[in-house]
Amino acid sequence: VYQVFESVAKKYDIMNDSMTLGIHRVWKDILMHKMNPSPGTLLLDVAGGTGDIAFRFINYVRSVRERQLQRKLKHHQNLSWQEISESYQEDKFKSLGDSQVVVCDINKEMLKVGKQKAQHLGYSEGLSWVLGNAEELPFDDDKFDVYTIAFGIRNVTRIDLALQEAYRVLKPGGRFLCLEFSHVSNPLLSRLYDLYSFQVIPVLGEVIAGDWKSYQYLVESIRRFPPQEELKAMIEDAGFLKVDYQNLNLGIVAIHSGFKL
Amino acid sequence: VVRCQLSPPQRPLQASAVLRRVSDEQKKEPLASSSQQQFDSHPTDHQPEEEPQGPRPSYTGQGGQESEDYESEEQLQHRILTAALEFVPEHGWTAEAIAEGAKTLGLSVAAAGMFHSDGSELILHFVSQCNTKLSELLEQEQKLVQLGEAEKKPTDQFLRDAVEARLRMLIPYIEKWPQALSILLLPHNIPSSLNLLTSMIDDIWHYAGDQSTDFNWYTRRAVLTGIYNTSELVMMQDSSPDFEDTWRFLENRVADAMNMGNTANQVQSTGEALVQGLMGAAVTVSN
Repeated sequence: VYQVFESVAKKYDIMNDSMTLGIHRVWKDILMHKMNPSPGTLLLDVAGGTGDIAFRFINYVRSVRERQLQRKLKHHQNLSWQEISESYQEDKFKSLGDSQVVVCDINKEMLKVGKQKAQHLGYSEGLSWVLGNAEELPFDDDKFDVYTIAFGIRNVTRIDLALQEAYRVLKPGGRFLCLEFSHVSNPLLSRLYDLYSFQVIPVLGEVIAGDWKSYQYLVESIRRFPPQEELKAMIEDAGFLKVDYQNLNLGIVAIHSGFKL
Repeated sequence: VVRCQLSPPQRPLQASAVLRRVSDEQKKEPLASSSQQQFDSHPTDHQPEEEPQGPRPSYTGQGGQESEDYESEEQLQHRILTAALEFVPEHGWTAEAIAEGAKTLGLSVAAAGMFHSDGSELILHFVSQCNTKLSELLEQEQKLVQLGEAEKKPTDQFLRDAVEARLRMLIPYIEKWPQALSILLLPHNIPSSLNLLTSMIDDIWHYAGDQSTDFNWYTRRAVLTGIYNTSELVMMQDSSPDFEDTWRFLENRVADAMNMGNTANQVQSTGEALVQGLMGAAVTVSN
């Protein structure tokens, strides 16, 4: 798995766009809306390599924070000048409201690409990059508010261990979110999807990234991955409650969510 | 701390991080090994099947059923919502208020993700709580009357007092209540909010001593619902001290409703008198 991603790192984003025809952006946006993070949330994004989820999180929290500050200002209509200036002081430095995201990935190359992207796009505060293995996270217990793993969990060898680790590092009340390719039950769509996956994607891989094998692996790993209900059972096994899933695009992708209660 | 996982009996028993024992919070040592055996041999009631969208907490019944000693997720949700109410004046009926409520219980703010992002559940929870409080209030009053310690109120007075008591519960949240009303009117909330409204009106009539089983049952409910809703709307715009204007409005509406009943009778008897007069005139003319 490591080598697959080493070779894939640089072209990862381009490949994503071409394979999914850009829809993956929408999927990730939906994931962020489902999370609906409030300022002050501590997010752990595992297998988050190139930072897509992390950047979206920062954008979301920033806009929520702005709205919060605007609302506060509206309430300040009746205060004295002294009080208003004091409140400006405290709010000025908190454009993110103490939210933070830690991006963890097993692969150095992916993290490197992510850091470069962050610099390029101008994301600086509230972001950290950590090298780590999803089956054995280098974090303490009860630390994070939200744990996400977007298109990463199918690459983990022992999914149950990763889920247990997720449970461990989450605070009580914390949320587990998993965005992943899943099982399409509609037979017509299923055939079209299979056709597309096995005929088109490896070809794209060869043309764009010069790597047929990695993308062949990708498609096969999607097929081998447990379907929605099974993954839901595995998440419940790790101890999460109120586990449910939401199918996107009729099951091509699914978002699973669980709470540590 | 041991928690029983439900469906397949083979599941390893897991420690629950937050769901606490309902029976007592003071006792430190849970009975570890003996409870393990107990849970293994009695698989307890099945959790309601989860649909892809997630189950909605029920408002009319008690909390969900789970192992006897631990609170269910629904009960935890109720606790979070109750805690969230105190943040409503500041944040409105939103997911933010719920997140703050979760924080006070020692949970992560992400726990607010368990609820709809528009704050519907918070409002419905509040309404349900108010209705319960109203029922208890009316129950107590009834007891006093039965014991002979209080006078039985005439119907219009009773209705006025009941509606006023219920509306007064809105006072701490009055600024954000218009927002709440609009959310309650959203299509996906209408079944629940309508349900709560009708059961509250039912309650009031029940304690008012309504025994009717005929057509009157519907008219009484419709009339009182109308009185309640209009008074609520008036209250939203009322700026008089202690909402005097609202109570006066309420008084007038209740009086109108009472008169309506009388007027209906009067119309009937006037009609009858009129008919008799005409008959008499006809007889006189024919003679």
